[in-house]
Amino acid sequence: MNLWRSRKLAWSGLLLAFVLIAAACGGDDDTGEATTTSAAEQDATTTAAPDGTTTTGADTGTTLAEGDDYCAGGGEGNLIWAHEQEPPDMHLDDPANNLTTTAWARQALLDGLYGITAATLFFPELLAEEAVMTDNGDGTFTATFVLRDGLVWSDGDDLTGDDVKFTFDAIMALGPDTTPDDQETDPDPESDFIYLIGDRTGYDTVTEFAVTSPTEFSITWSAFFGGWKAMFAEVYPSHVFDADPAVAAAEMNDAFREWTLASGDPIPTSGPMMFESWDRGVAMHFVRNDNYNGSQSPDVVNTGIACVSGVDITYVLDTDAQVNSLKANQAHVIMTQPQQQFTELATDANFTVNPQAGPVWEHWGLNILNVHLAKTEVREALAHALNKQQVVETLYTPLFGDLLPAAGLGNTYWMSNQPQYEDHQGEAGYGTGDADAARALLEGAGYVAGADGVYEHPTDGRLTLRVGTTGGNQLRELQQQLIQAQMAAAGIEIVIENLPGGEYFSVPFGGDPTIWEITQFAWVGGPWPGSQTFSYRTGSGNNPYGYANADFDAKADECDQIVDEAEAAVCYNELDLFVTTLGPDGESGLIVLPLTQKPSFYAYSNTALSAGAISPDANSAGPIVNVVDFKLAG
Amino acid sequence: MDDAATSPGSLIVLAYTVRRLFSSIVLLFIGTGVVFYLTSISSNPELLLATCPPTRCGPEFRAEMTEMYQLDKSIPQRYVSWLGDAVQGDLGTAVRDGRRPVTEVLGERLPKTLMLAIPAFVLTGLIAVGLGVYSAVRQYSFGDNTLTAFSFVGISMPTFFFGLLLQVFWGVWWQDWTGTRPFYVTGYHDANFMDIVASLTLPVTTLMLVTVAGEARFGRASMLEVINSEYIRTARAKGVSERKVIFRHALRNALIPLVTIWALDFAALLSGSVITETVFAWPGIGSYFLRSITNYDLDPVMAIMVFTAAITIAFNMIADVMYGVLDPRVRYD
Repeated sequence: MNLWRSRKLAWSGLLLAFVLIAAACGGDDDTGEATTTSAAEQDATTTAAPDGTTTTGADTGTTLAEGDDYCAGGGEGNLIWAHEQEPPDMHLDDPANNLTTTAWARQALLDGLYGITAATLFFPELLAEEAVMTDNGDGTFTATFVLRDGLVWSDGDDLTGDDVKFTFDAIMALGPDTTPDDQETDPDPESDFIYLIGDRTGYDTVTEFAVTSPTEFSITWSAFFGGWKAMFAEVYPSHVFDADPAVAAAEMNDAFREWTLASGDPIPTSGPMMFESWDRGVAMHFVRNDNYNGSQSPDVVNTGIACVSGVDITYVLDTDAQVNSLKANQAHVIMTQPQQQFTELATDANFTVNPQAGPVWEHWGLNILNVHLAKTEVREALAHALNKQQVVETLYTPLFGDLLPAAGLGNTYWMSNQPQYEDHQGEAGYGTGDADAARALLEGAGYVAGADGVYEHPTDGRLTLRVGTTGGNQLRELQQQLIQAQMAAAGIEIVIENLPGGEYFSVPFGGDPTIWEITQFAWVGGPWPGSQTFSYRTGSGNNPYGYANADFDAKADECDQIVDEAEAAVCYNELDLFVTTLGPDGESGLIVLPLTQKPSFYAYSNTALSAGAISPDANSAGPIVNVVDFKLAG
Repeated sequence: MDDAATSPGSLIVLAYTVRRLFSSIVLLFIGTGVVFYLTSISSNPELLLATCPPTRCGPEFRAEMTEMYQLDKSIPQRYVSWLGDAVQGDLGTAVRDGRRPVTEVLGERLPKTLMLAIPAFVLTGLIAVGLGVYSAVRQYSFGDNTLTAFSFVGISMPTFFFGLLLQVFWGVWWQDWTGTRPFYVTGYHDANFMDIVASLTLPVTTLMLVTVAGEARFGRASMLEVINSEYIRTARAKGVSERKVIFRHALRNALIPLVTIWALDFAALLSGSVITETVFAWPGIGSYFLRSITNYDLDPVMAIMVFTAAITIAFNMIADVMYGVLDPRVRYD
């Protein structure tokens, strides 16, 4: 159990570290000079589902009645998505790969047991219904899954519980000279696995996988794993790989790189698209999967096969050229940075700029090992002096309208667009730019204002704090300058010291006060927020804040063990209070100042398309996650 | 024929060529060393490993990278090893491009760069010479002044700006006005010959802009120098027609200084235009170079840098040799 827990924590944290780097190094240099329609302003269409219920989807400009063909009236042809990043290969877990762009491409190829909605919630994707989790009473938990009837792969083969089992077996397949016993003592057990996957958390505690029928199977874990719905985000086709999991895992490592089997055929898919070809440096081509099982996402209107006959992902490195491609109708969709690229598009009736709040969130992290930041009064002064509303109004509202809360983000576990969200920092009175409150706190802690207005402590010296982030990120740099001015009004001197992305994250990530005083970057939330905990745990290698609290650690363990989702949500909210307020932890709490979510957005042509699709979340989805809804102009 | 081949003049040219070849090799050796050092300290794979969490970059991957980039050796040791492989045709692995051999990737990309470079080079030469002759013959005329103004605009205009301007003009404005889009604004399209032409037009035009402007100015100056020389005055005094004076007597000699410029321009075009290929999403060497830099893909960066250095040195040498062949006044000794 201890081994399991430490490994689980380690993998969670390291996965988080990667996500952090991916989010932080996204290359965005956004400014918020533009205006656009917010998601709330866009018309949603209501359509009748086969069972007579209604479905709300993206702005398609049509209302679909029962029996109507969603694709009727649309033109034939491929959807063209111009993007700057070409994946090195299509193996999602290749260390030399770029995770995001590969994941985005694969979103249209493989479905999983659960998908994630634009509102960052799980929905049954290949499953017929929500799985049922049972507490076996002996510490183990079993989830029972039921697949949708009649699921098939793009080549017509049945997609069954055996495929899910095959996926599990391949992920967990060990090398020929390795036994499970070796795993217990091996200092680096991950290197013994064959299939390249960054994180086996949850898979590694499965004690039994039983397929009871083609559509029914159950999985038993040695202990409850809160992120169980995030597992099997892709299910692989067993019928095209070797029956021996170890051989299959090696085959998959090769086949996924070019999405081509040893036979030369493309890997069959379960998503709305099939891989067709890849002209490196030019474009990747997908073709419609006419055997697609249909989408159950609440974000889509079309529950059948895609309307477009395929997708061309064209690689246009220059973002100005992407915009020109869109305007010239040579591309139909772009999803790029920086924000100002969308300024003109947002006010042009020929284009739709479609944003979602997304799970990526910006924050200032306070290193409590610093002599000033170790004082609760200083951290609280920073929280009071910070004016989140000004940050949102200046940098985000002009382009995204009221998509984000005007008061900024006040929670690090739940995002503002998730139903579990509570604005803890707002409720604590933080983030309002109250310089007087900040000054009062500092003076109460013995600080005295100097001749230049900056406070000094009789023993700890001048209240000057360094803030760092990845240099060249225009949005962050503007945020820093805004907040720097807010802090100056409260007598706190902020010195901006940014470094290039790789260099910034190459420094030790364990809260070294000589390196970190205040750090600014993005974390990525999700439907299961438990992974966020790792950045706050005592001694975690992924904890830049120097935070250490045994009560927090115990509470985190408790939250991760709660099966009931509503109860777990409450628990994670309680956990958040430790780090965003001084409530549960009056001495070392309040280490994070969440600023705001960073919306994801894309633009599509209203002239080339007669219907678009809802914007994806910023985590792992991309423009073609809801590709079934795109319809070319007739 | 045999006499000509073994004449003292030919032998002198041959000796000069061999001498230049050796000095070029030395220069290339030094150049690659400098490039390798700079590339090693800027596109550092150690940084990639340092920022990659162990879950993704496990021991096997780290060992693979260490072996691939010889991170356990000093930079001079790595250079010697790289050089040994390079002379045998092994330019390394494009880790961020499907782990394919760099030579394979360059083999795909170079023809695309040539598709831009050759038409751009030929058209540039023809247009620049034409404009240079016109400006020189009609010195200080309205046409000459207009061309001079346009030349300076062309020389001054950033390539990326002109490229984007062409995209907006032909892809957006022209489409708004006429409902048609005669050219592709990005990408390489090869469904048929006209598709290729439509793909090539805007990037080739962009590539031509700066070189035409520069070469036209150079051509004008060279032509002016020639048409004001005594032998041209003599030809005119003898009653030779102006057309013959310009195109038979003046132009031939005026072109000689342009040979050096052409050689260097062609070398630059062959090495791939980073900006033009990037703006137009052209899958040539230039855009690949930028992509490799941003991806910390060391071997392709090194290979392209060395390729560029080699091409530049080679064409410099060709220009020098050609200069002497075309102009008998130039002596090699």
